[in-house]
Amino acid sequence: MLAEALEHLVRGIVDNPDDVRVSAKTLRRGDLLEVRVHPDDLGRVIGRGGRTARALRSVVGALATDGSVRVDVVDVDRR
Amino acid sequence: MSESTAGASTTDDRTVRLEEEGEIAADYLEELLDIADLDGDIDLDIRFGRAAVEVLSEDGGKDLDRLVGRDGEVLDALQELTRLAVQVKTGERSRLMLDVAGFRAARRAELTKLGESAVAEVRKSGEKVALEPLNAFERKVVHDVVAAAGLVSDSQGDEPHRHVVIHPADAAEGTSSADDAHTESAAGSVRSGSEVAEATSDAPTESAGMVE
Repeated sequence: MLAEALEHLVRGIVDNPDDVRVSAKTLRRGDLLEVRVHPDDLGRVIGRGGRTARALRSVVGALATDGSVRVDVVDVDRR
Repeated sequence: MSESTAGASTTDDRTVRLEEEGEIAADYLEELLDIADLDGDIDLDIRFGRAAVEVLSEDGGKDLDRLVGRDGEVLDALQELTRLAVQVKTGERSRLMLDVAGFRAARRAELTKLGESAVAEVRKSGEKVALEPLNAFERKVVHDVVAAAGLVSDSQGDEPHRHVVIHPADAAEGTSSADDAHTESAAGSVRSGSEVAEATSDAPTESAGMVE
């Protein structure tokens, strides 16, 4: 659910929604969600001073019902 | 809570634009609620010349409180994202106000009381009064209360210490105009020309929740 919610939140704020990928990994300390977007949208997802990335973390964190979740915006898409 | 749409400057075009903002925001939020399996109704309005979007609990449950967070922190984040979602669709910066489960409405009522008692204190003492630091939305509420009472206020200091200062009535006479006094200083806020143009004389232009 969290990955899906994050994907929706990001898709809505970028110019290239079809290029948004969110992958979920389980780490020892909790879940990690990695966001990949079109290079042109990277600045938009991070925001000035990281403001947008912080907002994404805040909302996703609020939706996480069990334990902590980390959200990373991956800045080079090498898939 | 006093509510009004913008004054005589409102045009039909502008109303249409604000309605469109609300609809884009509602789509964005509705799908989020759906994914997160949260129940909520979305209410759209235009208030203070902005699109007002409210997520209300269907059954009075506490589920939505998660989207408010401590001190409305999550709500501010969600508002920010919703504004961006609107901006990407319309190409214009949005100043929409988001509320969840009546959080801002309740805070607005508290701040209205705070503003009114500070106005009474300024009238009684004839001295200016500085309030505790407040966020942009909260300062806007207080500026509106002060303006409605016929006094002048401005915001001083830098975030996170930015606070409202209310001036006694006679202090305003020497200044060039009351508008200048309760408009945010250029250094304190980032605002586009169109947003300044939207400001009306009875609405201080501090933009609640905006990047400052």
